[in-house]
Amino acid sequence: MKVLPSLRGVQAEAPPARKQAAAMIEIDHVSQIFQTSGRQDHLALSDISLTIEDGAFVSILGPSGCGKSTLLYIVGGFVTPTKGTARMKGKAIAGPGPDRGPVFQEFALFPWKSVLGNVMYGPRQQGVKSAEAEAQSRRLIEMVGLKGFEHFYPKELSGGMKQRVALARTLAYHPAVLLMDEPFGALDAHTRTRLQNDLLNIWERDRKTVLFVTHSVDEAVFLSDKVVVMTRSPGRIKQVVDINLPRPRRRAELLLDPRYQKYVVDIERMIDDTSEDELRP
Amino acid sequence: MISGPALISRSAPLLACLGLLAIWQVAALILNTDSFPTAMEAIRAIPSILGDKESLINILASLRRMTIGFSFAVVVSIPLGLMMGRSRVVASFFNPLLMVTYPVPKAALMPIIMLWLGVGELAKILVIFLGVSLPVIYHSFQGAKAVEEKMLWSGAAMGLSAAQRMIRIVLPAALPEILTGCRTGLVLALITMVTSEMIARQSGAGNILFNALDMGQYDTVYAMIIIIGAMGIGLDAAFERLRGRLVKWSEPGFDIPLSFA
Repeated sequence: MKVLPSLRGVQAEAPPARKQAAAMIEIDHVSQIFQTSGRQDHLALSDISLTIEDGAFVSILGPSGCGKSTLLYIVGGFVTPTKGTARMKGKAIAGPGPDRGPVFQEFALFPWKSVLGNVMYGPRQQGVKSAEAEAQSRRLIEMVGLKGFEHFYPKELSGGMKQRVALARTLAYHPAVLLMDEPFGALDAHTRTRLQNDLLNIWERDRKTVLFVTHSVDEAVFLSDKVVVMTRSPGRIKQVVDINLPRPRRRAELLLDPRYQKYVVDIERMIDDTSEDELRP
Repeated sequence: MISGPALISRSAPLLACLGLLAIWQVAALILNTDSFPTAMEAIRAIPSILGDKESLINILASLRRMTIGFSFAVVVSIPLGLMMGRSRVVASFFNPLLMVTYPVPKAALMPIIMLWLGVGELAKILVIFLGVSLPVIYHSFQGAKAVEEKMLWSGAAMGLSAAQRMIRIVLPAALPEILTGCRTGLVLALITMVTSEMIARQSGAGNILFNALDMGQYDTVYAMIIIIGAMGIGLDAAFERLRGRLVKWSEPGFDIPLSFA
């Protein structure tokens, strides 16, 4: 992996010893071609190879239309790649499964189920007894800060609350990997910040592997161990940047940290080099 | 304490009915012909119809046919519509058939069906079935088509099979739209019920109406029209109650202005 020259100084002070972790997900020469009606086929992803280690928080960053969500859907098993393979723990991904839990920008909650019903859905599907599933789900709902809203329907919740429910619903069936598709993209800035903080707190407890798609540089740097910068159509990996910032991360400290600022500026420049100015704040 | 505007909107349906009756009454008095009884005369004829055992049996027979035809139609149409909504192949096969048969008045098929099945129950139930099926299929189709892909993906990630996703995600997600179709179907069931009985005259509410017409009992004719109208309102209101309970979770976008519920 290439390391930016400008980041070498940072690289030198070794990250808090994370052991050489095993590969959780391997994306192996994956290309995706979409057939568009009549016109030429659209090459969405071109020859992507990427390894995501167990327990890593990896963000895929790129302008809209760079195929970053498609890459996530391929890992989820929702989309079959035109070429190449994606593997999870060494096994080729053939379809969706409870080892990979998606959280979508659109929330995709079941509107006919209450908050509790939504969160219990996965465990119940996996055969967990009703009482036990309910107890677990109530704990999760409390963890995402929605205690007292168990019997609300999704339509009665704000966008931020819906996304909290969606996160709890996915965590409830214990996926080994969280697949987050611009999860905070539809939320206002304030809610977004709060959810980022809460997600980090939750993640720092059990360090699940996370694949996080975003077009926000700040968000990617703030959350991730590794940021995969993509170019616009066809989507290619431009660079993978290791984010060597200490954890647990506190937003207030981080924003003042020159290392954080440098990452953000460098990545923004990297994106400006290749593509349109969509990513400038 | 009910506020002024709320009181008005609550009593509006009643006021509208009273207004209609008043106009009817005045028009009948002015025209003063035998074939157009006044509203009062028609209303006065209602108790004698409802008090007559023969008539009651006829009306109940109509309701029975309607219930059977409606139930069969719903049971067949919802799965078909949902499958059309989720499979392009199924949709491209059934959609043309649907488009061709939709504008055909189902009662117009009655003579043909009578040739095959006679004038009995079966022919009438079949016509009601046809009348109810199309709106229910159509709305189930639209409802299933509109189900968010990501919702199905979320289910797939939890381990739901394709069949489970159909029953446990597509069906409930499309329910508000399905019930809209059923509501239209219910009104159409009443209409096709009356028209089928008017063509195949043997028994039923439509039969009472047209027998009375033949015999020049115009007050009975109009009384029957009122009774059929009241049945429509009652059924619709009951259905709206049920619908409101079943989809209380749904976004308000699905609401239809209520009738008398």
